[in-house]
This record gives sequence, C-alpha cells and structure tokens, in this order.
Amino acid sequence: MQKISVLIAILLMFSLSTACAHTALMSCFDEGDGTITCEGGFSDGSSASGVEFRVEQKGKVIMKTKMNEYSEVNFKKPEGDYQAVLNAGEGHTVCVDGQDIVE
Amino acid sequence: MKRFYLAVAMSLLLCTGAFAHFQMLYTPESALEKGTTIELREVFTHPFADEHTMDMGKQHDSDKLAGVEAFYVINKDKKKDLLGTLKAITWKGNHNSGAAYQSQYKAKRMGDHLFVLQPAPYYEAGEGIYIQQITKMIVNVAGAPTDWDKELGLKAEIVPLIKPYAIWTGSTFTGIVKSNGEAVPFAEIEVEYLNRDVDLDKNAMGPAYVEAPQDSFVTIGIKADKDGKFTFGLPKAGWWGFCALGAGSDKEYKGKELSQDAVIWVQVKDMK
Repeated sequence: MQKISVLIAILLMFSLSTACAHTALMSCFDEGDGTITCEGGFSDGSSASGVEFRVEQKGKVIMKTKMNEYSEVNFKKPEGDYQAVLNAGEGHTVCVDGQDIVE
Repeated sequence: MKRFYLAVAMSLLLCTGAFAHFQMLYTPESALEKGTTIELREVFTHPFADEHTMDMGKQHDSDKLAGVEAFYVINKDKKKDLLGTLKAITWKGNHNSGAAYQSQYKAKRMGDHLFVLQPAPYYEAGEGIYIQQITKMIVNVAGAPTDWDKELGLKAEIVPLIKPYAIWTGSTFTGIVKSNGEAVPFAEIEVEYLNRDVDLDKNAMGPAYVEAPQDSFVTIGIKADKDGKFTFGLPKAGWWGFCALGAGSDKEYKGKELSQDAVIWVQVKDMK
C-alpha cells in the first residue's frame, strides 16, 4: 500500500512538472475567404491536437470544438467583435481578440 | 611615389581580405508575436567593419553575375521555394555598393520558418578562390518551436542546439558544424557581430555601433571540438553570424578552389 502511495505521489509530481514546464500558444490569421484559421501548440513543441477551442462573442460561446490532427481549427469569421479561445486547462488558456486577427 | 601608393593600395587590399566575408540573410525581427509579412535582405558583406560589399554571384570568367542557386523556407516540414521572390538591388555599404537582393515573405503560420539561401559561388579575386556560403536563418511566429533544430543534410550546415531566435544577451549559442549530415571535427569558425544599423528603405548600412579594440575582435576565430560542436557567449544584443569555413564537400568550382562555408545567423535580445 505504501509503495502504491509513493508511486502515485511520484506520478502526480511528474504530471504537475510536465504541465508547468510549457506554455499554451495560439496564433490566428484571416484566410481572406471569410474564414479564420487558428493554430495551437505548446512551447515545448508538442501538438494541441484534441485541445478544446471555442469562439466567444459578448461573453457567450458561439462555437466549440477541438483542435484537429494538425493542431488547428478553421471557422467562419463571425460578424463584429469576437474572441478565439484555446482552453488547455487551468493556467493554459490563450485568448486572441478578433481585431488582432488579420490576413 | 608611385611605389608608395601601390604599397598603400596593397595594404588596403590585404586589410580587406583579413576580415570575414559573410552572407547576410537579414530581417529586422526573428521572434514575431504573430504572423506577418517580413522584409528580407540578401547581402554579401563584412558585417562588423562594413569595409566592402561584394557583388553576389561574381564570376572570374564573365562580367555577368551568377544567380542564386537555391532559396527556400521550411515551416512545419513543408518546403516552399522562394527563388522567384528575389529582386536584384544595389546595396550601399559605407565604403562601396554591391549587387544584392531583397525579398518579402508572408510568415503567416505559427512556428519556425527556417530559411536557407544558397548563393552562387563568388569569385574572390584577392585570394583567387571561390566562396559559397550556404546560409540559414530562422524566424519564429508566436513562440511554438517546430523546425529550428532540423538537420537538412546540406553540403555545409550549422545545426543549432539553441533556438537562434531566443537568446538573451550574455547567454550562449551552441551549434554543430556538419557536411552532408556528418560532423566536421575541429571546424574553423568565424564569428561576427552585425555592427551596423540596417536601413531597409535605402538598402544601406548605417553607422557602426561599436569599435573593436583590435582586429582579433572584428572577426572572432573559434574552433569546433572533435564532434563539430561549438559554443560561443554573446555579449551584445543584435544579430550575430557564425561561419564554418570550408566545411562543405564541394572543393572546386570552375577549375578554381572553392571554400564552401556554412553560415547561421542568431539574434540576441536584452533583458529589459
């Protein structure tokens, strides 16, 4: 029982250090065809494939999906102000304002 | 008196030859917050002293300059040919002007954009040899590392072990000199600081930032270890060039000796 506890503690420490060692990153651009592409990743070079991605407008989520196998999402450009949000867990959320997304 | 002028002219020529030739592949900023179109300048010069700008592609048997052999970029393993983006310009150095190029590139996608420039061999009349500097420079968008450490198997190549766009002033750069994927033991490397303001609008070099206390500090000579690896401390913010002399496998061009060199540029930032 003691061995299992030690093992769990070690695994927990390892997972914590892994989570803290890198930063979530996202960059978006206007494709010029009425759509936006957002690319996600981490500062250690790992992929954001499968990580939650959402588009928010006036505090409401208007689209929610996951980064694809290429660690990116393409979506129809919303009318007006909006935010693209990559949610890779607590402390790993990246928000890009629609006004900063250009061709 | 004629002899005196000849001696002065010869000594000037020898002085010019003493500093290192560097193929520049310049852009103002290598670590971009987000994707944008960047300006590039491809100039063959002496980045510290700027005492002579070479005509890229100069040949010994023709007045016509030879064009660039290859120019491309790699982002997320995808290679894009950029040869068609090069526009011939005249680059104004502080002492003369030389044939060079300018180009633009849309660094749109996140990650590393690894540029490779392979100019035609340049005939250095003062030494009677050709020089070809295969040059790498890396621009990063939004901090995600993707391609910076790729080994491309070039005839002459410096493979970085430290991200060339994420170096604080006072820290170090480490690389391995390679030729066709094999390490080059004890490679001779020259290091120079880009000691000039670069004016992209005028395609010209500006005034010097610092003065060297002695010629050894203009072009700093170092050597790789038995595994082709080297480390160099970087004392000042700005662009630094590393050139591994004669590291490449091609040793002759048009019947003359060829020094096929590997160049990499790194950008250093102050902690503010």
